Amino acid sequence: MAERHLVDARGAFCPGPLMELIAALRHAAIGDEVEVWSTDKGSAADIPAWINKVHHDLVSINEADGRWSIVIRKAK
Amino acid sequence: MMAGAPLYILVCSGEHEKLQMAAMLASVGAVSERRVEMFVSMNAILSFTKKASPDQRYRGGVFSQLMKEKHAPDLLTLLRQGKEFGELKIWACSMALDVAGLEMDHLVEELFDGPLGLTKFLSDAEAGQLVTL
Repeated sequence: MAERHLVDARGAFCPGPLMELIAALRHAAIGDEVEVWSTDKGSAADIPAWINKVHHDLVSINEADGRWSIVIRKAK
Repeated sequence: MMAGAPLYILVCSGEHEKLQMAAMLASVGAVSERRVEMFVSMNAILSFTKKASPDQRYRGGVFSQLMKEKHAPDLLTLLRQGKEFGELKIWACSMALDVAGLEMDHLVEELFDGPLGLTKFLSDAEAGQLVTL
């Protein structure tokens, strides 16, 4: 059964949130979701671009009070 | 599967800001399924010696100070992540090693893939995109 993992990368500067996401994906199973919290403004564009490049799935992206929540499904 | 043209990064500066950008380019490129090779020469090689103090390794200007105060990702950590998560090779310029009197075991561990000459690096770089810092 697919699981949801949380990566709290608030306060980390580029490319810290991306690296933390990749580390979490390596330990996740295919179909699992990883939710990244980031306060780095670049993450909102960087992480979706990376997901598109390496062919994972973007589930959702939301911002509230300066905190981005980006949910990725591991596709491979 | 690797996608996109390989990225070749030639690093000569020992300034923290330029080394940081080299590490960011190398690590993000490698995790984005690009093959990345980094060639470290001139003052840059001195920043990668085991004996370099943090002040020597991270010396720079105003932005260097800001990165230290705000705990920007450490450049050695970024490079190790690039090697772990992607295809990143890091070469020590053989001329720089000779001139500085350095051997490979004087350099920080688990980072360098070996010594390399500029001719070979430049020849390989014809197949990709070359960035110089």
